[in-house]
Amino acid sequence: MSSYAHPAPLQQKLSSGFAGAIALHIAGVALLIGAAFLHPSNSDIWGDKSAETGSIQASMVSSIPLPTKAPPVDKSVLTPENVTKAAAPPSKEHTTTAPKPTDILIKSNTKAPTKVAAKDTPAPPKHAQPTPDTPKAASGEQATQIAQSTTPIKNGAASATVEDKAFGLRYAYYRDIVSRKVAENWYNSEADPRASQDKHVTISIEILRDGSITNIQTQQRSGSPTLDQSALRALQRIDAFPPLPAGDHVTVQLTFDYHQP
Amino acid sequence: MLSSLAAKFRLSVLTAAALCVLFLPQLNAQDFGVTIRQGVPIRIAVADFKPQSADPATAGYKTTFDTTLFADLNAAGIFDIVSKGLIPQSAPGNQSEMNLAQWSAAPANAAMIAFGNLAVQNGHIVVNGFLDDAKNTQFPQVFVKQYSEEASDDQARQIAHQFADEIIARLGGGGVGIAETKIYYVKQTGENKEIWEMDYDGANQHALTHLGTVSLSPRISPDNSRLAFSALGREGFQIKMFSLLLNRMINFPAAGGTNLSPAWAPNGNQIAFSSSHTGDPEIWTADASGNIARRITSFRGPDVSPVWNPKTGAQIAWISGRSGLPQLYIMDADGSGVQRMTDGGYATSPSWSPNGQFLAFAWDRKYGPGAPGGQDIYVMEITTKRWIQLTHDTGRCDFPSWSPDGRHIVFANTPDGKAAHTRIMTMLADGTQKRALTGSGTDMPNWSWK
Repeated sequence: MSSYAHPAPLQQKLSSGFAGAIALHIAGVALLIGAAFLHPSNSDIWGDKSAETGSIQASMVSSIPLPTKAPPVDKSVLTPENVTKAAAPPSKEHTTTAPKPTDILIKSNTKAPTKVAAKDTPAPPKHAQPTPDTPKAASGEQATQIAQSTTPIKNGAASATVEDKAFGLRYAYYRDIVSRKVAENWYNSEADPRASQDKHVTISIEILRDGSITNIQTQQRSGSPTLDQSALRALQRIDAFPPLPAGDHVTVQLTFDYHQP
Repeated sequence: MLSSLAAKFRLSVLTAAALCVLFLPQLNAQDFGVTIRQGVPIRIAVADFKPQSADPATAGYKTTFDTTLFADLNAAGIFDIVSKGLIPQSAPGNQSEMNLAQWSAAPANAAMIAFGNLAVQNGHIVVNGFLDDAKNTQFPQVFVKQYSEEASDDQARQIAHQFADEIIARLGGGGVGIAETKIYYVKQTGENKEIWEMDYDGANQHALTHLGTVSLSPRISPDNSRLAFSALGREGFQIKMFSLLLNRMINFPAAGGTNLSPAWAPNGNQIAFSSSHTGDPEIWTADASGNIARRITSFRGPDVSPVWNPKTGAQIAWISGRSGLPQLYIMDADGSGVQRMTDGGYATSPSWSPNGQFLAFAWDRKYGPGAPGGQDIYVMEITTKRWIQLTHDTGRCDFPSWSPDGRHIVFANTPDGKAAHTRIMTMLADGTQKRALTGSGTDMPNWSWK
């Protein structure tokens, strides 16, 4: 113990230091409290004083009124083999949405422009896929649906329509193969049955000369994201179709119907 | 007595229920996604070709051609072929003689019709083959092709194979035809085992090697030019190379130890094989001439039977005994990313499907003393590791090999378990349509790439 230095001066310094620190802290707290009293904040306290923003009120009801279900548009129409008997082909816009409400509004001549604008929103945004500027076929790219190849599968059907009329007529077997191969690769159990019931999604693809698929675009969403995703995955699963019998590219519209009996 | 019986019955019912619960996931695996999806088959009618010349030899070639064409389209797995008894009796020789209404009506109900004519002119067989769409009355013709080869039975068969391949290519939804592919296999000749070759349907079986020793695991290169196999030499089993173009053995550097199971990469530039010259059997890769050998596995335990991913060429599946019994593993082609695929049993001889999604292998899931062993062919989906069993109660099955269209699997099978009675069988990739291609004494089949 004698070898240790006497700690007295250090202790004295410590105690005076302590006293000073405590005094400083008390002074700081007093300053804060004093400032709060002298300069009270006039920002809003929690909760708005105005009467409009109130709390949410919940009331018990015996039944929840649901919106009425729109009748499903029947798309799975099998056209007969003889193509000349086919009905007048509807134009592309009409096949995407039910035109009835618009007709009525146009006739009444009120709010017609705003309603037309609202009709545009269901059109799906074109995904950022660069459209290849391939030379268009001479027979045109009319989106007239003349004959469909429909392949039924469990809980639904896949249909293929070729946009080029002459091609679809001459090479009907190729359209059948496309529809069959798409139906084979569509696992429609990936789609949520309740959300997708009686819905259909239309996707257009371009088939190149060697049978490979490009330019996959959703033409009309079904309203059920799982159904749309399952349809896109079906196309991703396909490696390629057989080589085209003629032409260097052909555009095909594929419709995926989901019907669970 | 009755109470013990009742107790036993209750126990067996409980066991059955428990087993059902255990096996339910596997049943689901069979139900969704793992089964090779067979689409709606196309109903095709194959007419007897019309003979154009009165040559007596023509009749013989025509019969060969007709039977081969029918068998090829039947074996393709994508057609519902109209049986010969239901087709109209007339043999249309060309488009003007074809009466579509007759063929698309009952009882044939054909959607597609293959017909044509065959003639022998100046020592050549000339065949005109037509394919018609019976449903499209306006434009029935899908395609017409003419074939001309030297007049012989073998060439008649080859023309039938080519025509069938063309039909499959046009109608098959993107798959290639297998009618011209070959199978390479091991044939027991006395004490030796030599490498033989045959057509995919079992025809034209002939020997390739005459080394007078034991040769195993033939693997044909992707361009059909060279055959790699393992043969017993003075220094043990070595990898040997046979050139199909030169019809003789070519040089491949020999290493020490036991070198087995060569496997070609899909680009034809690399070979993977199992070599034990460092002491422990490991997987090595080398280029096609056997130089620049690189070791890619490094764990203790035998590593054998490598097979490359034929779609990407970036992965290798192989059998490793690093954890005890041989199990199936996959890794990247440089040896990284090792993943174990099987969870037990005794797994051997993997084969990777051409679309890169499935592995076929032989598996004895209940291996062990006292367990009822049964080695069967299984197919496993690589992404989900769910599997399905393709062979049941047919004896011991081994060495599966996928066809290039991904729809058929060829394998070796002994109905009674004796090695001398092994024969090669083929089946569709969902386990149906099994049939034997060879007699006894054959083993280790390998289907060519194209």
